[in-house]
Amino acid sequence: MSNSVVIAILSGLAMGVVFGFALEKSRVFEPGVIVGQMQLRNFIMLKIFLTAVATGALVLAMLNGFGFVKLQPKAVLYAADLVGGLLLGAGIALAGACPGTTLAQIGVGYRDALFTLAGGLAGAVAFSYAQPWLDKALIGTGPKLIFTDLAGIPYWQGAIALSAAITLVLILMEKLRSWRKDLGSDFDGSTVEADRPLKHRAIPAE
Amino acid sequence: MPTLFDKAWSPYVAGVLIGLLQIPAFLLIETALGASSSYVTVGDAIANLIDPSLSRIDYVAKHLAANAKNLWQVALVTGIAIGAFMSMKLSGARRQTISPIWSRVLGSSSPSLRYGVAFFAGFLMLFGARIADGCTSGHGLSGMAQLSVGSTLAVAAMFAGGIITASLLLRRI
Repeated sequence: MSNSVVIAILSGLAMGVVFGFALEKSRVFEPGVIVGQMQLRNFIMLKIFLTAVATGALVLAMLNGFGFVKLQPKAVLYAADLVGGLLLGAGIALAGACPGTTLAQIGVGYRDALFTLAGGLAGAVAFSYAQPWLDKALIGTGPKLIFTDLAGIPYWQGAIALSAAITLVLILMEKLRSWRKDLGSDFDGSTVEADRPLKHRAIPAE
Repeated sequence: MPTLFDKAWSPYVAGVLIGLLQIPAFLLIETALGASSSYVTVGDAIANLIDPSLSRIDYVAKHLAANAKNLWQVALVTGIAIGAFMSMKLSGARRQTISPIWSRVLGSSSPSLRYGVAFFAGFLMLFGARIADGCTSGHGLSGMAQLSVGSTLAVAAMFAGGIITASLLLRRI
């Protein structure tokens, strides 16, 4: 193996460990948090997601703005992005995980996540067999379009504007509902008791 | 100040940390954070042992190449499992073998039902992610940060698919 591949593997492992720590400490890997997000009653996932997007946009505004890196946007494939995104979302709701957090669930010992992983590998292989046909029928090709190109402004300006807008949204979201309320008593995103104060009050005191 | 022994960090601390991972990804590997391609690399490597003709498909050959990008992403998702395990050990936030939410969400405490649903869900998740050419990480974290038009559409569809599925098939918890 060449040196660059060895460096890639070692840096991937190190970055993955940091990623895994962030996913576990923030509890976003919990099925209760992810299902809760899709049921619109737990907002930890959206808060982490938006924070990571805003941070990534600021970082890339600098790295790309000063010419250190090229952007790597994916091609816009309207039908494939829509159909694939819908299927992916359905899978995330039923798995209580996404492809990355499945591995975090395995790390902490959730046994059902091994089945999510096996199903994911099977899904990837099934797609591989179908890819030559799907590519013609649905996926196709498209331009690597980014919004700032449409607006005719440099990427760094749009990226900073996005970060600022996300920051405002997050401040508002946090005011409406603190992240601590979404943690759950066992840090698993399950806030059943907190959701039903009236029912508890209806039970007569003994 | 967050420590490694905490059971929970603020989503903002974790989000900043994840966003900063784009720096080494772009500088060292010339790629953005992503997770779902690694399922193709690993899944097809296994399937190719049984059916060697699989690697004649260009898409498969591209993902099986032992190059920096493919192996970096396999290492990344492996690292996620290791990092989550270490974090759990340090904080002592041990988990049961199945999250207690599932018996309420699925309306049954049968582990085999949960395992079946998990397998089916994993299949849907990766089949969909590969059609869209990315998942929550590649389209979500990386694509949105790069202001990608396609990624924004994919993420909107992903949340729509998740919210519709949860409201049709899952019990409120």
